Amino acid sequence: MDEWKPNPAVKPHKKRSWYLAWKYKLMNQRALRKLCQTGAVLFLLVTVIVNIKLILDTRRAAYEEEEESAQDYDDEMLNVEVPRHPVNNKKVLDVEVYSSRSKVYVAVDGTTVLEDEAREQGRGIHVIVLNQATGHVMAKRVFDTYSPHEDEAMVLFLNMVARGRILIFTIKDEGSFHLKDTAKNVLKSLGSQVAPFLSWRDMWTFVGKKGGEVYGEKHAKSPALSTWGDPVLLKTEVHLTSVEDAECHWPDTELNRRRKRFCSKVEGYGSVCSCKDPTPIEFNPDPLKDNKVFDVPVAVIAGNRPNYLYRMLRSLLSAQGVNPQMITVFIDGYYEEPMDVVELFGLSGIQHTPISIKNARVSQHYKASLTATFNLFPDAKFAVVLEEDLDISVDFFSFLSQSIHLLEEDESLYCISAWNDQGYEHTAEDPSLLYRVETMPGLGWVLRKSLYKDELEPKWPTPEKLWDWDMWMRMPEQRKGRECIIPDISRSYHFGIVGLNMNGYFHEAYFKKHKFNTIPNVQLKNVESLRKDAYETEIHRLLGEAEVLDHSKNPCEDSFVPDTEGKVYVMFIKMEQEADFTTWTQLAKCLHIWDLDVRGNHKGLWRLFRKKNHFLVVGVPASPYSSKKPSSVTPIYMEPPAKEEGVAAVPAVAAAEQT
Amino acid sequence: TVKQHVVRKFLGLISSHSVPVYLIDPLILGLVDKDIEQIRSSPDGPSPECKYFCAPRDFTTFALLDKTWKHEVAFLRTAEKMGFRWLKIMNKDPRLDGMDDLSGIEIPLHYIFKLASHAIHLVVFYERSGNYLWHGPLRLKQHMDRKFVPFRKLHFGRHPGAYEKPELLLVSIDDLKVQIPKNPSSFLKEMSYSRFLECRYREARAFFQLYPDDASLDAVDFRRKAKSLLHLAALTLNKLGVKFWLSSGTCLGWYRQCNVIPHSKDVDLGVFIRDYKADIIPAFQKAGLPLKHKFGKVEDSLELSFQGEDDVKLDIFFFYEENDHIWNGGTQAKSGKKFKYLFPKFTLCWTEFVELKVHVPCETLQYVEANYGPDWKVPVKTWDWKSSPSNVQYNGVWPVDEWDDVIQIY
Repeated sequence: MDEWKPNPAVKPHKKRSWYLAWKYKLMNQRALRKLCQTGAVLFLLVTVIVNIKLILDTRRAAYEEEEESAQDYDDEMLNVEVPRHPVNNKKVLDVEVYSSRSKVYVAVDGTTVLEDEAREQGRGIHVIVLNQATGHVMAKRVFDTYSPHEDEAMVLFLNMVARGRILIFTIKDEGSFHLKDTAKNVLKSLGSQVAPFLSWRDMWTFVGKKGGEVYGEKHAKSPALSTWGDPVLLKTEVHLTSVEDAECHWPDTELNRRRKRFCSKVEGYGSVCSCKDPTPIEFNPDPLKDNKVFDVPVAVIAGNRPNYLYRMLRSLLSAQGVNPQMITVFIDGYYEEPMDVVELFGLSGIQHTPISIKNARVSQHYKASLTATFNLFPDAKFAVVLEEDLDISVDFFSFLSQSIHLLEEDESLYCISAWNDQGYEHTAEDPSLLYRVETMPGLGWVLRKSLYKDELEPKWPTPEKLWDWDMWMRMPEQRKGRECIIPDISRSYHFGIVGLNMNGYFHEAYFKKHKFNTIPNVQLKNVESLRKDAYETEIHRLLGEAEVLDHSKNPCEDSFVPDTEGKVYVMFIKMEQEADFTTWTQLAKCLHIWDLDVRGNHKGLWRLFRKKNHFLVVGVPASPYSSKKPSSVTPIYMEPPAKEEGVAAVPAVAAAEQT
Repeated sequence: TVKQHVVRKFLGLISSHSVPVYLIDPLILGLVDKDIEQIRSSPDGPSPECKYFCAPRDFTTFALLDKTWKHEVAFLRTAEKMGFRWLKIMNKDPRLDGMDDLSGIEIPLHYIFKLASHAIHLVVFYERSGNYLWHGPLRLKQHMDRKFVPFRKLHFGRHPGAYEKPELLLVSIDDLKVQIPKNPSSFLKEMSYSRFLECRYREARAFFQLYPDDASLDAVDFRRKAKSLLHLAALTLNKLGVKFWLSSGTCLGWYRQCNVIPHSKDVDLGVFIRDYKADIIPAFQKAGLPLKHKFGKVEDSLELSFQGEDDVKLDIFFFYEENDHIWNGGTQAKSGKKFKYLFPKFTLCWTEFVELKVHVPCETLQYVEANYGPDWKVPVKTWDWKSSPSNVQYNGVWPVDEWDDVIQIY
């Protein structure tokens, strides 16, 4: 015990050997002479150094004395002579803002806090928020107000910024085309005189305090449609306030201390930082009775979209049965703001060094997150996997608690997912209903540890393979014919519109009208009938009960389904073999559901709702349920459109992907 | 006395914050163990004197499960109000150590609470993959007060340690209610062999930089089989109470790359011959692993081989201890030739390997170097067990009349 040092920095062995070597050298005559010589030289050197130091010290002392006396005598002088803003007592900030066609930058006290001269990106209005007491950057945004709706996002953001903050604006390239009056008025209310008249390809910079003074504004008009305004450079000074003035005076609790730390660092989160009436950051939703997923770890996969993460965690922590201790947020990259959000909610977060690029980067991030989750919770048999751009239904955990035993017991299952690819407002109806599907929807799902550890982890795509993790998981080599359980009405909602494979148009077309459950404590029905064999019995029962629709009518028209409620209808479409989705794709297109690839099928059967009736689609003859087709009925065939039309229908190249 | 007073105060603090700690102080548990029957049978029995908590010592040691540790900030604040001064020792989370690219959390490993002349050492235990508990080493950082307590006298923290999840018992000793391990003597025994070695993840990463990992389906498949074979072997041997460690190629795989070497064809374990039990063979057969061959005999060069899934086999080498070295034997079936593999003496440490808590020689480098020579860092795909190891010695030939006994192939 005695030789143990809590911090074993000393290496006794080395010391000893050095000593021995020295002793040995001493015994050698020549070495001794050499040593004497070296000693003499060393002595000389030391003397010289000491002397020089002495001289220098004397000089410095004299200099310091001079300065001190100057201070004593003339306070005014001091402010002018020495650097104007001593680091520890900063009162004034120098702000430089530059706006031009191809470059913008913002410098605060000589430090560049924004610089964007990349080609073909960063167009629009750049906004920077500074803390009025410290001068720290609290938020940095760019709104491409050349494009529609971005001005609305900017207004939303500006409204969320607390009074007193310093706002800096600058335009890169073009920022007026879709800058509507509402937005212009907001800018005007901030004190801008130019904003109401901003027009095509004008250059503009503005610095002001929210709800307070204006520090400067510069504008250069574009002389003609085809040219840009001249670059403008605004140089101004901003007077800082005291820290107390910049902070709210919330009661001193652990929660409020977290809030304070957060609110002094970042901006753009609205009422969470409101002084008067801050929105809660702890939710304490009702616990779930007999919660089977209380001890299941929850991995939240995040990138650098802190506002999304904020919204996501709020909904997650408000869901009944949530166990915050089991939540870990995995951030892809060393971004501060997402970590600030995680800490605001008192959760634990882990940052991940990005590996590879684009989809492969996401894929490597997923792998690291899943491995870490099972390492941190070695007892867990499952993990819930969520993404930062999802809203979580109030009964998300209740839904999982009622169904998780199936994943444990039924080996023909691949996952439980909260997302129904075909569950739109007009096609989903029953919150208590579950399906089995051959596709893997993701977007809030449960992964079995054994599946991950024994099958997926060892052969996960390596960084040089630029694969999507979810596409890879959907491949037959991985899925091996297993199915996922999904609800009719999704328990997650995909709100992200900025993402790797996502854009506004795509989101509006495929995600916006998705149905999302808001009813708490939904009791799921016939959970046991979701097991492999029981489900077949259930399907046969359903088909037996189903009324065959009139196949002479156009299935795309509303009148195809009678104006009833609560009935079960079936239609038969042509499906030559297992992979023939020609007619299905056309039908999906005209029903305005997911048509970019095939989702939600089970043995050539699709289940959805139309006009509040359960609506079954069977692919004949590929589906084993084809036998239910009356011989008099001819399966409907729908022709794919001509080639170029098909291309136009797919807005984004990698559109079939949802991450 | 001061000691009892401090412990009482600490237990009060614990219960007011409902933090379920348990006593792991070896000194007190040693005393408790002597009276364990009496203590168990009288859960509320008043003890007239202060027999346990007043024993002379500088610390009292408690354990805390990380899972049950929730409101640290409030807890520490109350502790301060009660007059405790505290020190918290953090370090990086070993559960994420194997992953080069993750960063984020340091975790608390030890707390020390000091009041008057007595201190409470609170050791934080973490659950890890392989169904065991782990506690970290106690290492002071630069700025820390080195004289806060006499650190060298602490019973926990010199090394990290691995433990089974203990069954707990609520007892009343010296008028204080406290949780203790249900069987103090086996806990104390476990404690003396608890030293844990973390896999050398950084070196393993450097190895894979030099020699990229084999990600072929065959390699994935072999690793899966080897892992499940190792799990089954561990289950079987643990049930029999036979202590074993990773040996040969399996040990090299752990030490060099923190994983199964994909081109090795088997799983190798070492067992001291003094731990040999005749039930080993039937136990493995019952577990679905038939005996493939048996070479040697208990007195000399014993080696058992079991057939796992497909072509993966499990080799168990028995080790014989001499004064200044340890050896195991090998036998060539067709010639009856004997070989001897010499190792410097070693002790056993715990480690985690493919989600299993297993033993490895603590002096792993010497062990691996003895077996594979100074170039053990370079992967070798062709390996001859009779000539490649650098510690192999020719050891004569089995007498022909013994062959039926010492060379059994199935």
